[in-house]
Amino acid sequence: MANKSWKPSIIGFMCNWCSYAGADLAGTSRIQYSPEIRIIRVLCSGRVDPKWIIKAFLKGADGVIVLGCHFGDCHYITGNYQAEKKIKATQEILEMAGLEKERLYLDWVSAAEGMRFAKLVDQFTDKIRKLGPLKLDDEKRKKLTAALLTVSNDKVRWVVGREFSIIKDGNAFGEKLVPYEFHEQIKSIIKDNLKKSLIMAVLKSGPKTVREIASDLREPESEILKQLVDLMRLDKVEMGGVKDRNPLFALKGE
Amino acid sequence: MGADSEEKRVGVFICHCGLNIAAVVDVKKVAEWVRKLPHVVFVRENIYTCSETGQAQIYQDIKEHKLNRVVVASCSPRMHEPTFQKVLEKAGLNPFLFEMANIREQCSWVHGHDKESATLKAFDLIRASVSKVVRDEPVEKIRQEVKKEALVIGGGVAGMNAALLLANAGIKTHLVEKNPSIGGHMAMLDKTFPTLDCSICILGPKMVEVGKHPNINLITYAEVIDVEGEVGNFRVKVRKKPRYVDVDKCVACGDCAEKCPVKLPDEFNRGMTIRKAIYIQLPQAVPAAYLIEEEHCLRLKTLKKGGKEVCGLCLKACERDAINFDDKEEIIELNVGAVIIATGFEIYDPSQEPKYGYRRFPNVVTQLDFERILNADGPTKGELRRPSDNKPIKRIAFIQCVGSRNEREKGAGRYCSRVCCMITAKQAFMIKEHEPDVEVYVYYIDMRTAGKGFEEFYQRGRKEGITFLRGKPGKIEEDPETHNLILVAEDMDTGVLLKNEVDMVVLATGLRPPQGLVELAQKFHLSRSEDGFLMEAHPKLRPAETPIDGVYLAGCVQFPKDIPDSVAQAGNAAANALGLLSKDYIEMTPLHPVIDLEKCIGCGLCEINCPYKAIRVVKTEKGKKAEVIEIACKGCGVCGASCPEGAIEMKYYSDKGIEAMIDALLEKKEVEV
Ligand code: FES
Repeated sequence: MANKSWKPSIIGFMCNWCSYAGADLAGTSRIQYSPEIRIIRVLCSGRVDPKWIIKAFLKGADGVIVLGCHFGDCHYITGNYQAEKKIKATQEILEMAGLEKERLYLDWVSAAEGMRFAKLVDQFTDKIRKLGPLKLDDEKRKKLTAALLTVSNDKVRWVVGREFSIIKDGNAFGEKLVPYEFHEQIKSIIKDNLKKSLIMAVLKSGPKTVREIASDLREPESEILKQLVDLMRLDKVEMGGVKDRNPLFALKGE
Repeated sequence: MGADSEEKRVGVFICHCGLNIAAVVDVKKVAEWVRKLPHVVFVRENIYTCSETGQAQIYQDIKEHKLNRVVVASCSPRMHEPTFQKVLEKAGLNPFLFEMANIREQCSWVHGHDKESATLKAFDLIRASVSKVVRDEPVEKIRQEVKKEALVIGGGVAGMNAALLLANAGIKTHLVEKNPSIGGHMAMLDKTFPTLDCSICILGPKMVEVGKHPNINLITYAEVIDVEGEVGNFRVKVRKKPRYVDVDKCVACGDCAEKCPVKLPDEFNRGMTIRKAIYIQLPQAVPAAYLIEEEHCLRLKTLKKGGKEVCGLCLKACERDAINFDDKEEIIELNVGAVIIATGFEIYDPSQEPKYGYRRFPNVVTQLDFERILNADGPTKGELRRPSDNKPIKRIAFIQCVGSRNEREKGAGRYCSRVCCMITAKQAFMIKEHEPDVEVYVYYIDMRTAGKGFEEFYQRGRKEGITFLRGKPGKIEEDPETHNLILVAEDMDTGVLLKNEVDMVVLATGLRPPQGLVELAQKFHLSRSEDGFLMEAHPKLRPAETPIDGVYLAGCVQFPKDIPDSVAQAGNAAANALGLLSKDYIEMTPLHPVIDLEKCIGCGLCEINCPYKAIRVVKTEKGKKAEVIEIACKGCGVCGASCPEGAIEMKYYSDKGIEAMIDALLEKKEVEV
């Protein structure tokens, strides 16, 4: 649990046109709120790259809050819809990797909502205080590294980046997709990718056998083997010797 | 020479902002810590950095200490970023090698009770800015040619004035009005307060001037449907509805309307008189021409259903051959450098509050209805008669603040609509002038009469024998036989419960944002204030500008105001637009991305997601690659944030810069308060 003197580190991404202006309005109206948040101005919430978020956690952030314009108000028309998909996927990745997804939060604040801005920041800060520090031990670092690999993966970025437009306009064949079903497909792609990333994160510390990886990740050996075969086909992993008559797997080129 | 090869020399200027910052943030201490940051070669504290002297200091210090990057820690960059960037430019630096740390709005003003945290936070924000600025690279501004035409949306008194000012200055101005005639609400008013000028008498000549001005392209019965582009070069699509009457041929004789069999309530007289399906909006309409309302014309309705050419009585009646049933909707494309929005307001609809009985009781009317009753062209030809039975009015009551200063009612505003008190004062005064014996009661909470000559006018009304009662009736009841209205209210000055039977009630209805404003705001990416009206760029200093360059506001679309204030704001908007349009080109911040062609695989996700079609995939020698159309790009960065290959980098506000900020903000602090 959090100790008294601990102050959470919170990074906020605010879009220039609504939420950052809302923060300014909180200022000019002298509305007081929790001081832990550190705001980074971006032009649009859709500009926030999931990579930044995971990197922030890796650097020691305890929480990340992204605030954009309300739907319909985005200065760039659809940026906040894009942001919603990206942040949601990032939350899911955090959760699949076994981290608290509540540490990442997305909401909307207009330029006229100084009060709401302050309230959301207070609520989020409180929540992070309750969750306590992220405490980056090896285990968590490994998970976050895997999460970073996942949000950087081209396939994952493609499907997440495509979600909004596919649901709006249909796929390449003009078929309309059911948002829920499509999102489930995306999730399974992400999950698959995250597993690979986790294996790679484990292999970072040197070559390992299937059993070692499986016990480390608490996954069945068959599943690990399947992913390893994929990874070898993707040229990411190679055989790296033998240990107790069991083959060792290693990151390619390391 | 690459920016990397030169030594980075950052100067940091920390502002006290009088006591606004210094009273909370320990500026001295922060300055001490900042001095130790890598690349920081110079730190100065200023009392007011934005002042003339403050700016001159920065200039001098850049020269003297050979600074090549600058950080100012003061207020919001949304306020003064351009101010300081100009100083850099003057001193010969690239204006984008500059960062602001917002230590006023984000520290001193919001953490006033926790000076220690505010001080630490201020340091963090500055440290992040320094980290970013040393990674920033110079970027060149983009030049945008300025299209020397203007668009004014809304042809009420504000829009007309703005258009005239621009047109008189030689600017080709397009004025788009949604109604068949310009004139707006002011054309419906009988008199104006406090001078009691006849409204249409002062407005009419202006309307004619607008209609005849060689530099004004008047587009009535039309609306804006699409907006593209940016300051200096907006491309606007306007849909003009068919009138079915040739404006040039029509002489507004009215023969057609006499023959037309379709009777409809006349909106201009607030539904208290009848008009035909072929009609003219008001006698003084500009353009002075009739039109056929498609939805109600018998012939057009039947034709639309595939039927025969029926009726056609107007066709036969028109001697000038002005009627054209083949008229079609027109899409007009405009290309303008500046836009003024002046779409005005809508009056509150009191029927959503059943207690007032509006629309249920014929003798309950709004102020705007009553304006028409007072008017010589209105339903009673200016005689004080009530709607239910046309009987002369002997006792009349006004109820103030209907739909204003109301937190509970959903469609109402929390704000004071500013004009209703004076309208009541004027209307009460007019009644007394028409018929001195009529008893007039005004139920109010506060009478607000701030304005030149307003209080004097109101006091004059009191002397004329108008009874002002502090207190609002809880509800209005009607005597079903006489259609008289019964009001019960507590007179708050005496505490006595008063029952009052009157012939007629006038509701002082508030002003609300006009319908369609949400959509219009979205087309221009404008924000609305909490009250629903359009938000200005700065409430004090830039009341007619918006956060979007090249888009200005005039009149009630920004907030309810009276006629002189609307006209004044129109002047401000026009002056701003002129300032812009007097330039041949403007320089814009280069917000667009650059593509790393080595990494790009031409997958096209950026093209799919770009809201401005500013990026597209083209075939090159090296295969398919993304290409940026710089001038169309607005810099949102969605493409970069989702590029699967990490091949897109924003030039300004780069990933490198932002990641440097993240790192700096999360670095362990080696300082103590
Ligand atoms: S600009 Fe605010 S979310 Fe896009």
